[in-house]
Amino acid sequence: MRAKIISIAFSMLIICIFLSACSENEVKYQRYYADGSQIYQVHCQNCHMKDGSGLANVIPPLTDSTFLRENRKDLACYIVYGLADTIVVNGITYQTPMPAEKHLAAIDIAKVLTYITNSFGNKQGIYDVKEVEKNINNCK
Amino acid sequence: MKINILIAISSLFLTIVSCKQNAAKLPILGNREVAANGKDTIYQSIPDFNLLNQDSVYINNDSLKDKIYVADFFFTSCPSICPIMKKQLLRIHDKYKDNNQVAILSHTIDPKHDSVPVLKKYADKLGVSSKKWHFLYGARDVIYNMARNGYMNYADRDSLAPGGISHSGYFILVDKNRHIRGAYDGTDEKQVSQLMDDMDILLAEYK
Repeated sequence: MRAKIISIAFSMLIICIFLSACSENEVKYQRYYADGSQIYQVHCQNCHMKDGSGLANVIPPLTDSTFLRENRKDLACYIVYGLADTIVVNGITYQTPMPAEKHLAAIDIAKVLTYITNSFGNKQGIYDVKEVEKNINNCK
Repeated sequence: MKINILIAISSLFLTIVSCKQNAAKLPILGNREVAANGKDTIYQSIPDFNLLNQDSVYINNDSLKDKIYVADFFFTSCPSICPIMKKQLLRIHDKYKDNNQVAILSHTIDPKHDSVPVLKKYADKLGVSSKKWHFLYGARDVIYNMARNGYMNYADRDSLAPGGISHSGYFILVDKNRHIRGAYDGTDEKQVSQLMDDMDILLAEYK
C-alpha cells in the first residue's frame, strides 16, 4: 500500500516537472525574463522605478499595456536611440528626454523588453532577439 | 533558578526601556566647538542664504524659521539617481502635505539649464506647489558651497558622470534652529522611511 502511494506521488512529481519545464520555449522565456530583470535594474530602474510606475508627469510609467502593444515595433528603437520628442502614455504628454543606450546588445534589449512587457501588469510573451534585430533596422 | 530568569527578564526589560529613551531625541550632527564662556556648545548650523524658488520668491532662513525641512541637491535633466530621489521626496511630500511645520528644499546644481521657469515647470509636472516644496535656484558656486559647507553634502562638475555633474543622493534633515539632525540615503526606500519616523520625533520636540 505504502509503496503504491510513493510510486503514485513520484510519478505525479515527474509529470509536474515535465509540464512546467519541458517546453524549450518556456525555458528560453524564463532565461530572458530573469536576465532582463537584472538589465532593467542597471539601465532602466533609476527613472522608471522598481514597479515601473515612472515619476509623476515627468517620466512615463511602463504599466500601459495598450501603449506597449501598439508601439511594440518601436520599443527597441526607444531604448537604442533614446527619445527627444514628446510621448503620450496613458493620456499624459511626457517631455523629458530619454537617454540613448547605444551600447546595449540586441540580445540584452530582447531580454529587457521581455522583462518589461511581462511585468508591471503586462503579459505579452517573449520578445525574441530576432524581432529586436529586425525592428532596429527599421528605426525612424 | 527562578531568580536567574527573573533577573534576565528584568534586565531585558530595562534595556528595551533605555533604548527607547535614547531614540526619543535626535542627535545634532556636524562640527561643534566650545563657546567663549567655556561651558556651552556651539553646533554647526546652516549658513545664511537667499535663493529664488520656482515662483521667483526669495527663500532664506527667515522664511523657514518655523519649519523643519528636508534638503537635497539635484538637477532636472539628471538621468541617474535624481528621479528616485524625487520619487522618495514625493512620499515625504504626501505624508506632510497638510503640516505647515514641514518644508522640502531641492537645490538645483545645474543653474545653467535649470532656470526659474524650468524649475517651475518641473514642480508643476511633479504636481507640487511652493507652499511645501521649494525648488531653489542660485549661482553655481553659491550652491556648491552650500552643499559642502552648509549641508556636509557633495556636488561638483564631473565630465564622466551621467549628465555632467556628480553629486551625493543624501537627504539632510534640518530643525527649526538650523541644526542638522539627520542624513539619509535618498535612493533607499528604507532610509527614507526612517527619515519620516525621525521627522515625527523631531516634530514632537516642538509640541
